[in-house]
Amino acid sequence: MKFRRLFILLIVFVMILAACTPAAEEPVVEEPVVEEPAGDDTSAICDADDFGCAVVAPGQTIKIGMSSPMTGGNAAFGIDAEQAGLIAVADAGEFMGFQFELVAEDDGGTPEGGAAVANLFAADQTVVGVAGHLFSGASFAAMPIYEEVGIPMLSPSATNPDLTRQGSRIMNRVPFTDEAQGEAAAAFMFNELGFRRVAFLHDGQDYGKGLAEIAAATFESLGGEVVELMGITPGEADYSPVLSTIAAQSPDALYFGGYTQEGVVLVNNMGTAGMEDVIFFGCDGTFGADFLARTGANGEGTFHATPRVPPETPEKDAFDAAYTERWGQAPGELSPFTWNSYDTTTMLISVVKEIAMLGADGSLYIPRGAMVDGVRGLTNYVGISGTYTCFPDGDCNVEGPTFWIVEDGDFVAVN
Amino acid sequence: MRTAKKSPPKLTRRNYSKIFRPIFGLLVLGYILWRLYLVLFVQQTYTAEIWVRLLISGLIIGGVYALIAIGYTLVYGILFMINFAHGEVVMIGAFAGYFLFEATRSINVASAGNPPLSFSDAYPFISVVLAFLIGMTIAAISGFFLEKIAYRPLRKAPRLIPLISAIGASFFLQNAAQLLFSPQVRDYANPQAISRGAGWTLMINDARVIVTYTGVLTFALSIILMIGLYIMVQKTKLGKAMRAVASDKNTAALMGIDVDAIISRTFIISGALAGAAGVMWGLHNGLVHFFVGFLPGIKAFTAAVLGGIGNIPGAMLGGMFLGLIEALGPTALGISFQLKDVIAFVIMIIILIFRPSGILGEVLSEEKV
Repeated sequence: MKFRRLFILLIVFVMILAACTPAAEEPVVEEPVVEEPAGDDTSAICDADDFGCAVVAPGQTIKIGMSSPMTGGNAAFGIDAEQAGLIAVADAGEFMGFQFELVAEDDGGTPEGGAAVANLFAADQTVVGVAGHLFSGASFAAMPIYEEVGIPMLSPSATNPDLTRQGSRIMNRVPFTDEAQGEAAAAFMFNELGFRRVAFLHDGQDYGKGLAEIAAATFESLGGEVVELMGITPGEADYSPVLSTIAAQSPDALYFGGYTQEGVVLVNNMGTAGMEDVIFFGCDGTFGADFLARTGANGEGTFHATPRVPPETPEKDAFDAAYTERWGQAPGELSPFTWNSYDTTTMLISVVKEIAMLGADGSLYIPRGAMVDGVRGLTNYVGISGTYTCFPDGDCNVEGPTFWIVEDGDFVAVN
Repeated sequence: MRTAKKSPPKLTRRNYSKIFRPIFGLLVLGYILWRLYLVLFVQQTYTAEIWVRLLISGLIIGGVYALIAIGYTLVYGILFMINFAHGEVVMIGAFAGYFLFEATRSINVASAGNPPLSFSDAYPFISVVLAFLIGMTIAAISGFFLEKIAYRPLRKAPRLIPLISAIGASFFLQNAAQLLFSPQVRDYANPQAISRGAGWTLMINDARVIVTYTGVLTFALSIILMIGLYIMVQKTKLGKAMRAVASDKNTAALMGIDVDAIISRTFIISGALAGAAGVMWGLHNGLVHFFVGFLPGIKAFTAAVLGGIGNIPGAMLGGMFLGLIEALGPTALGISFQLKDVIAFVIMIIILIFRPSGILGEVLSEEKV
């Protein structure tokens, strides 16, 4: 009887385990089988292509994937990216009788979620590109899956430096790297703000940890003192113990690499932890209206970063108006990546429009290898958030961030 | 399987693990004491005010854990099942309190001030009492229906079935809350008099230590509720019936106790405590979202196991202990805060090695287990 119980328990345990790592180990779906239209150019091109063609039958849509956290504490990033992407798809209009469609999936910002969404997209014939993933951790997990089937990624916000250092053919992104941001932030703190003792905190995830470590290393090489470099457990509602411990070192500032959810809690806890005189220096993960709304007076005087601010152009104004009208809030309010998300989606669409071919059977053929190379080969693409040229490693933007300070409940640019 | 079942147990292996486990425990314990010695007497980085701040954090979160842990322990004591949806009942209580504060904030009262005061700022005491009442009531109601819908039909089923039903109920409630209230993180609108971060200031070594009003409220109320519960279980007729059902359902039924009604009431009581914990969580930490109950729920469950599941004072002790370890552990041992939970769980394992049924747990008979 006992053995039987144990056995049942074991099965339940295995089932729970299986549920916890959704599809991460599942074999990647086979390359799409191309239905060959007889005696046509397209078949020759599709055969020659490394990954074959994506085939969109009449009545189907050309799908652009988007993968981001849409639930949980960082849901604002995902919702914002989806809203911007939907406008990009609407702007793209009809192409050879086909419509574009944005498929936004929730990956929770986690590696497990990223892999699950990537498998979902890889299994879909009509997904030709992914305007994501938004978070670095999820992107890392998704890359090998897209690499197999030839779906290009163009992330609006994944900034971990290693993402573009693995020789991936399909991984591209438009934001500055964490390296650029970390170095710029450390230099800004040391030179402009005159801090000499800074504590560095991170959330232990791919993005925050990489950023804080780079910033700390740069700060030390500039001659500053790193009083603490420590990780916290993400998702908690009270960080006063860790802050109290750091307060014992009396730093000038607290640098945080991570996202809004934890940033808000940290800033709100600093008062009770004896850090009311210490300045909070955040990153592009902590920027956003959410931060202002949820920190209130505690948020005054904190620093944050964003991708460089888009210059005012008619195209940007048109987008801003469309976004505000459709979603009832201003772009850039939910997250700093609104314009980037619009741009990455339109960039993918522009490549599709360049290489797609109409087959004799009325289906649209999109050679996947050409699509991958097309994204990497984007040159002088004028988007609403800037002009992008993708480098051979997949970075499409090497400029540093804009820093912001919170004054009277609003962000004010300081450089 | 069959042959393995019949073969006699290997004595050597048994003895081996019996010796090995305490040695392992002692080694880890020695390491912990050595780290503690280093931080406290060799490095001496932290002054008294740091320890006081950490202690305060630990007591507050410990109080919340203890209240939630009691819910697990009460249900386990009577049904011998782990109510994994208990964390979600906490979340429901937190949301109920949130909406009550939103409502009282939107009502303006007649006053000379300009702009007029909202109800929650003008009568902070009444609105806090109301929030706790609403939070506890709604959570108690959801606890009641949780039992009726998810557990009662499975009362006679094998023990694992209600457990799976509990996990399902937990997912269901989380997702229902997500759909109803959106995945957005919301902030509690505390009355101004007890806004977060405000409090009494103590001076220790010329450093200010703030004892927040919300923290004191959380701690005091959790102690009061725990004492109230203890008295209820020990002194009232309902408590006596609950204890009777816990020790033997069939005999209790023979003595004229309505077992179903007692089980329902147990869920109502544990729900009410969870609701109070949810409102405290909101008032003190300020965050409420659909996932808010999950982590405290899991932590409180471990606290209940640590104290000895099924034992009410054990749950209180376990909750307080876990809260204090979480707050003080990383600093006292000089280990990164990222490993906070690791430290808490290692200490838990050590305690369970030496006291397998928890700090105050009794050894249950085979029939109960």
